[in-house]
Amino acid sequence: MRCLLIFLCSSILSFSAWADYQLTPKKIAENTWLLEGSTENFNFENGGNIVNAAFIVTDTGVVVIDTGPSLAYGKALRAAIATVTDKPVIQVLLTHHHPDHVLGNQAFADVPIAALAGSKQLLQEQGNHMAENMYRVVGDWMRGTEVLLPSQLVEAGVLTIGGHPLQLLSLTGHTGADLVILDQRTGVLFAGDLVFYQRALATPNTPGLAAWLADIDTLEKLPWTLIVPGHGPLASDAQPFVQMRDYLTWLDSALREAAQTGMDMNQVLRLPIPERFAQVSLTRYELIRTVSHLYPLYEKQQWQRLDQD
Amino acid sequence: MNTRIIYALALTLTSCWAHAVEGDPQPSVMWEYFHQRLLDNADFVFDEAVKVSVPPFAEDARQVPIEVDARALPGKVERVMIWAELNPIPQVLTLYPSAELEKFLAVRIRVEQATPIRAALLMDDGIWHVGSARVEAAGGGCSAPSVVRAQEGWEDHLGEIFGARFKAGDNSRLRLSVSHPMDNGLVDSIPEFYVNQAELRDRSGAVLARIDLFSAVSENPTLTLGIKGHPETQLWLRDNNGNEFTADIP
Ligand SMILES: [Zn+2]
Repeated sequence: MRCLLIFLCSSILSFSAWADYQLTPKKIAENTWLLEGSTENFNFENGGNIVNAAFIVTDTGVVVIDTGPSLAYGKALRAAIATVTDKPVIQVLLTHHHPDHVLGNQAFADVPIAALAGSKQLLQEQGNHMAENMYRVVGDWMRGTEVLLPSQLVEAGVLTIGGHPLQLLSLTGHTGADLVILDQRTGVLFAGDLVFYQRALATPNTPGLAAWLADIDTLEKLPWTLIVPGHGPLASDAQPFVQMRDYLTWLDSALREAAQTGMDMNQVLRLPIPERFAQVSLTRYELIRTVSHLYPLYEKQQWQRLDQD
Repeated sequence: MNTRIIYALALTLTSCWAHAVEGDPQPSVMWEYFHQRLLDNADFVFDEAVKVSVPPFAEDARQVPIEVDARALPGKVERVMIWAELNPIPQVLTLYPSAELEKFLAVRIRVEQATPIRAALLMDDGIWHVGSARVEAAGGGCSAPSVVRAQEGWEDHLGEIFGARFKAGDNSRLRLSVSHPMDNGLVDSIPEFYVNQAELRDRSGAVLARIDLFSAVSENPTLTLGIKGHPETQLWLRDNNGNEFTADIP
């Protein structure tokens, strides 16, 4: 009985801790605004605001890039947009299907929400499970949040909205379906989660680190002036690419060498992380996750078929 | 499903009444129960020389890696038992090693919720030396649908064994994986179907280690064993339906 009471009490406590995302748009280029999340992990304090969302105030209306981790975030984002422009939101673009980027969709249900076909499919397959997970890790911030699938599909090409030619790229490194947006008018590159900066990259859906590295090369060659990473601070130099390439290369070779020497998973997730990544947050946490996602593939490369067939 | 609910209820009730034993590095209300049930109430000691490693959290509750390293523990090992204390199927494996084995092994298991993981080594002094760790988990590893069964034609690959021997100084690491769904009877009314026996043998057929496996072991079981020297060995497996699988490890 006492257990039950304690359980009830703690549930009530956690559900009463309601707070505000306090989103403040920061102008980063002509007509272009950023809402920068923290580089922490999801928790009850940040409500999942660990992600960068952005919007472009075009001549004909506002284009929103990613809707954040919850319905409450989506609403707060919409309110924040209204503080800088009277123009209506006319288009949402989703960079990929991960929950911190798309669970604010409900707040934009009256607007076309576009994504790559692959992202829509992944969200359909994994959305509910990911949303449940978010309820578990950030709690009441998620109240009322449900998966809302994109209402529109986009492909690679140029989409011009209100005087902003948006170059859309369809890449794969982070989830298998990653939309990157380069605003050819301002040079702002919305890289989505293909670029994590000062925050360790997450690998749950990556087709492999080699594909991701190839995408980094593709992005760096674009005529960008400003990089908006999916997570981490804005940059006007190539440092995010340098860091991503360095980190991906280290991760790939660390996993390969571990498999070549016959390490089991626990040894791998204890491996030392090079000192040069000390300023990158959550490296150990993400390494533990990456070992679970990717190490079996590296193991297989070192193993032979042994049964007598 | 019902058994799971009853089990969870029993666990909740037990945790209200029972209490952990002193000196337990992973205080758990279930220790006494397993001490009685698995170790037959025999003498034991919580021993730091039995290092149990798990990730701090289960990224994939269906494949949680466990490593047991007791190379710092002197003496001969008679038996090794591994279990996940709060699992619906707690037992992972029981290993009967010969002197040719190193005191090192790793295996991947399913966990249903956050749980202490125990490795108990019965030494030739008659005392169980127990190492512990705890893994956090959102849960569902035991009741999650099979990844193997979701693949078309998985039956054609049943019993395929992959692996290799790796040199580790004077000794070797054997890394082995067998294609098998390891059905635990808790998912979609699929009856238990899992590899329950294994033997590692030398080239002449002499047994270097005998292992009883339980369905807490993950599908496509992955096992790492430490063995002295650099010998060629053979692996023999049998599942509870009587299928036998063998492999030569060069
Ligand atoms: Zn992502």
